[in-house]
Amino acid sequence: MTKEARTIIGLEVHVQLSTQSKMFCSCSTDYIGAVPNTNICPVCLGLPGTLPVLNGKVIEFAFRAALALGSRIADRTWFHRKNYFYPDLPKAYQISQYDIPLASGGTLVIETEKGKKKIGITRLHLEEDAGKLVHEAKDGRLSGSAGSLVDYNRAGVPLVEIVSEPDLASPEEARDYVVLLRQLVRYLGISDGDMESGSLRVDANISRTFPDGRFGSKVEVKNMNSLAALEKALAYEERRQDKILKNGGAIAQETRHWDDGAGQTVSSRGKEEAHDYRYFPEPDLPPVVINESAIANIRENLPELPWEKEERFREEYFLDREEATLLVSGKNLAEYFEETVKAGADAKLAANWFRTEILRLINEGKFDPGTPPASAGNLAELLETVKEGRLSNTAAKDVWGKMLQDGCGAREAMKTLGLSEGSASGEKLRAIIEEILENQQEVVKEIHSGKDLKGKKLKFLFGLVMRETRGQADPAEVKETIEKMVR
Amino acid sequence: MTLDGLGAAETASAIRNGDVTASAVIDNVFKRVNAWESQLNALITPLEERARQDAERLDRQVKDGKAAGPLYGVPVIVKDNMCTEGIPTTCGSNILEGWRPPYDAWVIRKLREAGAVIVAKSNMDEFAMGSSTEHSAHGPTSNPWDTERVPGGSSGGSAASVSAGYVPVALGSDTGGSIRQPASFCGVYGLKPTYGLVSRFGLVAFASSLDQIGPFARNMEDLALMLSVISPHDPQDATCVEGKRPDYVRSGDNASLSGLRVGIVREFLTDAVDPELVVAVRDTAAILEDAGASIVDVQLPNAGKAGLPCYYIIAPAEASSNLARYDGIRYGRREDAGDLIGQYLKTRGAGFGNEVKRRILTGTYVLSSGYYDAYYLRALKVRRLICREFDQAFGEADVILMPTTPSLPFRKGELVDDPVQMYMSDVFTLPINLAGLPGLSMYTGSSRSGLPLGVQIVAPRWEECRLLQCGRAVENALGPAPLAGGSDR
Repeated sequence: MTKEARTIIGLEVHVQLSTQSKMFCSCSTDYIGAVPNTNICPVCLGLPGTLPVLNGKVIEFAFRAALALGSRIADRTWFHRKNYFYPDLPKAYQISQYDIPLASGGTLVIETEKGKKKIGITRLHLEEDAGKLVHEAKDGRLSGSAGSLVDYNRAGVPLVEIVSEPDLASPEEARDYVVLLRQLVRYLGISDGDMESGSLRVDANISRTFPDGRFGSKVEVKNMNSLAALEKALAYEERRQDKILKNGGAIAQETRHWDDGAGQTVSSRGKEEAHDYRYFPEPDLPPVVINESAIANIRENLPELPWEKEERFREEYFLDREEATLLVSGKNLAEYFEETVKAGADAKLAANWFRTEILRLINEGKFDPGTPPASAGNLAELLETVKEGRLSNTAAKDVWGKMLQDGCGAREAMKTLGLSEGSASGEKLRAIIEEILENQQEVVKEIHSGKDLKGKKLKFLFGLVMRETRGQADPAEVKETIEKMVR
Repeated sequence: MTLDGLGAAETASAIRNGDVTASAVIDNVFKRVNAWESQLNALITPLEERARQDAERLDRQVKDGKAAGPLYGVPVIVKDNMCTEGIPTTCGSNILEGWRPPYDAWVIRKLREAGAVIVAKSNMDEFAMGSSTEHSAHGPTSNPWDTERVPGGSSGGSAASVSAGYVPVALGSDTGGSIRQPASFCGVYGLKPTYGLVSRFGLVAFASSLDQIGPFARNMEDLALMLSVISPHDPQDATCVEGKRPDYVRSGDNASLSGLRVGIVREFLTDAVDPELVVAVRDTAAILEDAGASIVDVQLPNAGKAGLPCYYIIAPAEASSNLARYDGIRYGRREDAGDLIGQYLKTRGAGFGNEVKRRILTGTYVLSSGYYDAYYLRALKVRRLICREFDQAFGEADVILMPTTPSLPFRKGELVDDPVQMYMSDVFTLPINLAGLPGLSMYTGSSRSGLPLGVQIVAPRWEECRLLQCGRAVENALGPAPLAGGSDR
């Protein structure tokens, strides 16, 4: 038994589905960057007399998630109205699900220090997004603003809410769970899963229990706009709750907002707690009867899931877990890798190249594996040249840079850079060195006279040769050959 | 030719044939409106200018030989809870002050496509909540048969317009009797179709699981014609069933009701019902029997007893949610206040009338946590019970005949402060909405005091044709509904 206090976290993740049109009308879901109130129509504006008609794609997208998580899909499901007043909610109710969610149960397996850990999925349900309030105050907050504007472009965008069991035991696990879930929805092609822009939103329920039996109430934490914020907010809550519990206090069951700037959670007591949503069945939408053959069809067409791909990469390409995890972190990245290997590259060498070169470029925002500036075939050609020893690693990087710049193949890039076919070694290398020594007779003399105690002169010659061979020579061979020829 | 009292089908064919112009028809509409309207107050928004423009366009098409449409040039009045593009749609409420919908309701589109000319938006109880058209921000409408009395409601303006001969046909909406009860009070035919037959797209919602649009007419052929025009499937309403509709216009052609079993509900014919209306039901049964039908007894114990309380839980519950969007943020009336909650309170406090507030409060209460199970959930169970009861009754009868209302048109002001007594006016109509059935109120003559007598006939879901056939039989025996006050008004 551990003497430590335990953390219990459950997450509610809202995933915006990337269907072309909204959940109940034909307006575009592409609201990011759109001029306010341009992606709207009478239906998503909730004008009197309008009625919702369910977009079938929304159901299909949600099924993909449900099937990938191993959830049970209901035979029959329906929508409820969640009633509350807020200016961003055009009908003053949100069409959501209540007693019978689209799917329930399922698991997501995360990697922890102690190995694999199953995180239970409680339920998965559909609902519509609300619009957005834009406050006129300088800090963008409601308090102190002279007025507020409402943008309904987001109103009616489909969301799937995925609720986890309280199986997460630390902020790190919560983060890993979200990372995996985000990876999953991206693999499934149902969402861009971007936390910063709000297409993936996480609310957390967190409580602490002590070995002596003391425990705190569940606190809901909202407004975490990044993975880092999620982790920080939950770590903050652990400390805050411990402090209260250790001093004999009680944790108020409440909703708290994460203030990223201040690095703390702030109580939003009051309004939200008092809500009685008066859920009742949505009379404008008939129940959704689930079609078994449609489900089977979606199941058959599910893409390879990230954890399946990782497993396969390890087996098929003899990669270690760290490599495999990195390579499958993005679906496009994984596909680019696999194409490169299929085009003839050595898997291990390619994995290394991806881990160092390509991930760096991706992180710098200079490389999109979805539309790679160098084709998998060209990259394979480069890696092959390296493998055969015809190009040093350093030279390969130059060639790679040229390939990206010109969008050309490895051979062409080498030609442009003046790198001839075949490496500078053996006789060829000796000839180059001989020519350089010829021109540097003063230096050679100094070495012979024993003045090069620290080997600086040798290093100078080495540099000249390397420059001349443009990295096509193996440094060890260069060093060895120079030493032999000078003496 | 005389245009007073001319039916819709007759009007359309006369215009198409060039016997009369659409413009002349519109002139006659507004002649009658001008003669009556100061007494009736049946209209919220007359559309004389637009109607004349429409009529001129139709007349040009006649000259060009392009006249087509079953309602060609027919003037139609629609209840003011149906959205009309660019034309105020108030629902009889101050809260929608100044709002002009950016789109046409499905039924409006269908009417226009059929060649109809929308001549006015009619008065109604605010948000269709009421049985007298007294709860209107636009003031009460009078019954054309006796202007001291109410025309019924909530579609009182449409019923009165048809009765007074402004137009041959009109549209109303019926959530608990709002077409049939005013049809009965005004002495015209009024049909509430099966729930899901006519698209509700563009009908401002009162209670979504009960609302249905339907026609008023003075003769059965026009009623059937209107139904056929507005009932095609609309993909914009998920509750509107797919599939082809029967030929309603021809459904009344067969005069024989041979083999049809007409159910009578004895417990609906007690002394709680005006004796003249009890007689009207029995006389109507005799007419149907003469036409070949047989009369059988059916029982509806729950519909009669539990229907009203059940309705007054479900309808307000849905209304409380449907009317929550009137917050002054996006459209309609707004009362500014220092903060958001204040703005909500002031806007809704000033915008809604008392009856609407009463129902919003009731509906909010029955859906609240702690009360939901005892009220709303129980009401849903009772609703299912009523549905089953009708299913059973329709095992023994093909149609069921019953009063439309328990009383003759009451006096203005008589029940306005007694909401429960007012609600009782719909005791025979609202169970039909709860069960989603089609119901027709037929004009069956006048009382000794000269007020119209209405009788209701109900069929299983999707069996509108049976109602139209029975209505035709009654019309054949009694003649079509007359213009109130004679055609010389």
